[in-house]
Amino acid sequence: MDGASYQRFPKVKIRELKDDYVKFELRETDASMANALRRVMIAEVPTIAIDLVEIEVNSSVLNDEFIAHRLGLIPLTSERAMSMRFSRDCDACDGDGQCEFCSVEFHLRAKCINDQTLDVTSKDLYSSDHTVVPVDFSDPGSGFENPEDQRGITIVKLRKGQELRLRAIARKGIGKDHAKWSPAATVTFMYEPEIHINEEMMETLSLEEKTSVVESSPTKVFALNPQTQQVEVVDPEAYTYDDEVLKKVEAMGKPGLIEIYAKEDSFIFTVESTGAVKASQLVINAIDVLKQKLDAVRLLEDTVEADDQFGELGAHMRGG
Amino acid sequence: MNAPDRYERFVVPEGTKKVSYERDTKIINAASFTIEREDHTIGNIVRMQLHRDGNVLFAGYKLPHPLQYKIIVRVHTTSQSSPMQAYNLAINDLDKELDHLKAVFEAEVARVSGEY
Repeated sequence: MDGASYQRFPKVKIRELKDDYVKFELRETDASMANALRRVMIAEVPTIAIDLVEIEVNSSVLNDEFIAHRLGLIPLTSERAMSMRFSRDCDACDGDGQCEFCSVEFHLRAKCINDQTLDVTSKDLYSSDHTVVPVDFSDPGSGFENPEDQRGITIVKLRKGQELRLRAIARKGIGKDHAKWSPAATVTFMYEPEIHINEEMMETLSLEEKTSVVESSPTKVFALNPQTQQVEVVDPEAYTYDDEVLKKVEAMGKPGLIEIYAKEDSFIFTVESTGAVKASQLVINAIDVLKQKLDAVRLLEDTVEADDQFGELGAHMRGG
Repeated sequence: MNAPDRYERFVVPEGTKKVSYERDTKIINAASFTIEREDHTIGNIVRMQLHRDGNVLFAGYKLPHPLQYKIIVRVHTTSQSSPMQAYNLAINDLDKELDHLKAVFEAEVARVSGEY
């Protein structure tokens, strides 16, 4: 109505970007936004995971529900997840939630024939949709060094004569429902620290005192420069907001020598994905999901009419 | 035994409105919004955005009980505005901020991957 806008304009700077890991700085927004993004990345970005398992034959040492639980936890590549429908919302299938629009079918057939133990892994799961497959963790560069890493996630091991045959349906879901659908391995953010060293007070310290200050921090934040004999900040982000250095400085009788503040609007995010979604795509999906949630929470048109009791007109009508 | 099902955290049952609105009878320009099946993710972000509005005198949210999946957002405004206007403005501003953030992030990803 009055065109006022209290919008913020956040800034992003990416420090590191890999397929399953992204580290970036988020500035000029506040902690509620950073926390909301973190919560959404962990619990509300949709992925695809096995949800229904029909076992035909299982003569392995693990029982049926054990194997079904393990199958559910296998991460599946979920690029399709954002555009897929939830099974409960799907009107194409006849209610059992197994049609091609809302689910992906997998099958697994393994039988141990020879004397050697057969390792049934996620690589033995065959998908009906080639875009939704178990995540492949093998590093393309080091394929020749470590053949063990290439075999995928072990589901169960079979002895001679044991067999496992099953059919599995994977559906779209969110981490809030069950952790198997969470696409994030870890998502953390920290406040960027601002460290001030009072140079004049630092001059009054002896070399042993300076070394003790540098060593009082459990992480390597400070270092003593050998040439200038000064205490310098080497890695401000290694600071974990333990107050060890501040306590040491006070114990030495020199409070105010080092001051550390957390910048209230500057965050360093570290996002590690399980491989279901690429890390950068995870952040973008989280922003989209958060927008959808805000949209769902808008007031409907009919509640606006009831609003005329408020504001200046309302006060005027009431004779105020 | 008494634990609610996990999907209750985010599935709004038939017949229940997602957002409902209750005027405060005793204080003018004050209202509570009850949002079903939401938690701190939305509550905190809407509350902090409402604080930035100059016309808002009071904004707070609470979860009445951790096993009841809803939040209540309470807003008091001056007579220049109304709780509904403030709430709508807050949601619109958050939406625009997220649009901006997405554009900035995508541009940054394109810039970093383009460097390789």
